[in-house]
Amino acid sequence: MNRVLRVKLLRLLGPLVAALPALPAPGAEIVGRVELPKAHGAPVKTQNYEVVASSGTIPAPKPLAVVYIDGEFPPTGPAPTVQLVQKGLTFIPALLAIQVGTKVEFPNFDDLYHNVFSFSPPKRFDLGRYRTEDRPVPSQVFDKPGLITLRCEIHSHMRGQILVLNTPHFVVTDESGRFRLAGLPAGKFTVKAWIDSTTTRERTVELLPGATLTVDFP
Amino acid sequence: MRWARAVISVLTAFTGSTAGANDEWLDRLEERLSFSAWDDTLRARLSGLLSLEGYSIAQPPPGLLFTQSDRLFNPRLAVFLNAQVGPRLFGFVQARVDRGFDPSNDRLRVRLDEYAVTYIPWANTPFNVQVGQFATVIGNWVARHDSWENPFINAPLPYEHQTSIYDTEAPLSGREFATFSPGEKYEYNPVIWGPSYATGAAIAGRRGPFELAVEVKNSGPSSRPELWSIAELGFGRPAYAARLGFRPDLRWKLGVSASDSVYFAPGAQHLPPGTGRHDFRQRLLGQDIGFAWRHLQVWAELFQVWFEVPRVGTVRTVAGYVEAKYKFTPQVFGALRWNRQGFSSIDDGAGNRIRWGNSLWRTDLSAGYRFTSRTVMKLQVSGQREATQRERLRMNYAAQFNLRF
Repeated sequence: MNRVLRVKLLRLLGPLVAALPALPAPGAEIVGRVELPKAHGAPVKTQNYEVVASSGTIPAPKPLAVVYIDGEFPPTGPAPTVQLVQKGLTFIPALLAIQVGTKVEFPNFDDLYHNVFSFSPPKRFDLGRYRTEDRPVPSQVFDKPGLITLRCEIHSHMRGQILVLNTPHFVVTDESGRFRLAGLPAGKFTVKAWIDSTTTRERTVELLPGATLTVDFP
Repeated sequence: MRWARAVISVLTAFTGSTAGANDEWLDRLEERLSFSAWDDTLRARLSGLLSLEGYSIAQPPPGLLFTQSDRLFNPRLAVFLNAQVGPRLFGFVQARVDRGFDPSNDRLRVRLDEYAVTYIPWANTPFNVQVGQFATVIGNWVARHDSWENPFINAPLPYEHQTSIYDTEAPLSGREFATFSPGEKYEYNPVIWGPSYATGAAIAGRRGPFELAVEVKNSGPSSRPELWSIAELGFGRPAYAARLGFRPDLRWKLGVSASDSVYFAPGAQHLPPGTGRHDFRQRLLGQDIGFAWRHLQVWAELFQVWFEVPRVGTVRTVAGYVEAKYKFTPQVFGALRWNRQGFSSIDDGAGNRIRWGNSLWRTDLSAGYRFTSRTVMKLQVSGQREATQRERLRMNYAAQFNLRF
């Protein structure tokens, strides 16, 4: 390309290039493992006054943890809608982490009734009984941070948890406690591992752009 | 006073500012009372229901209440053991500590009320066999008869209103049969005695929207709790009952029930010479319907019951009710029930036709408040009017606190 052509091309593309936003710095990430508590006994399928009993077992709940960066962050966009379903006499997922303002739908995928309710102070609600095909799918918007314990009025063994957080930076561990929290801003933060209603562990970290930090919560 | 202090302590602990913390504590207790072994093949869970209830009643006491006082306090602790071996074998036990199966002035006693083993022969076929001492398959009230599920404190009229049927003694005349003596209240029988935890076996199955359950028990639906145990009454005169159910979709449940049984207790006196208790039967035909959607639940049952009464003939009673519950908020619910029972006419022995029982109606109104997910308080007022010479409205009041763990 000769010099004259190069100058013409730069003059043409210059304003376009200038109009593009600056590329964000590469996000930091944290990987690690949370020491999870022992699983409790598997639930019994109670059918005491069911005239026709059904076979099957209910899977034992696996302990999980939520790892998040504590703090106030600017909104990242419109609040999302997520689903927490009732299937096989369990809540799936059994532990859901969401940001404040998120709408959660509760579809019933079983061929029997459930009655989801919460008496947790951040959000009290009772969805009543509804079928798979009922529309709209009952939902709730969670507008206060805190722990919501979900229960079913009909099946007392059913338990689910929603951890409502101010931060958009969170992740639920896998069943071995491993996690990867990506796309984090650089800076000095407190990383917390929520394990259950009485146990939260924390570490202070300094995140560098594009760096991966390993943080374990033994 | 000792009772009052205990009640106040429990109410304060589980309804005050620390109620939420107690909910969590009870969740952890539930986890500790759950057990599994052999890679979760064997599972067991202990749970319980503590009920503290008080009554303010007009004499004679209504339904299955047995006291000569106008006020009665009745604490009850029910402990449940549920167990499961693999996906097809289940076990269930209910033991209670209370002042009698039905509220009374008696002292506290421990009692084994229910035990059952349920086996499901085929994994993907809804069919099961149950053996033990367990609630009847008749009707639809059994599914909500415990004090946590029941929006009221008492049972619907057909399950607790005592008729002139007297299972320990045959009447000598129609007039005697139709005369109800309040002083001997416990000797009389309702058409169905509560959930009727008699001993026996049942098979039940479902195909499409239809379900069928058939049971053979040691005693019939009107039999008193003392006769439900196999230790008290064998299978010499088995009672048969069945319910055919139809469920077009999740919202609706319909059913028809029938039973045929002996109703006289062993050793019943004054039976006509040459007859035995097996010569006099109770036959029942029932229809039930239930609807549930969102925060509304509605149930209704109607029973026609025939008793063969020595020296009187076959007598009939019709009893039924309509009941609705609505949750206004997650914590507040209300329930309304209208009950009615009528009786056929008999010859009093002097050529006159008389009713063998006083027709009556009763309206129950209940309000409930859930303090936490595991505690609820219910208040109930009932108005009952019987077709007697001194017809008057009798009001009864009750309160009940329940803690589930």
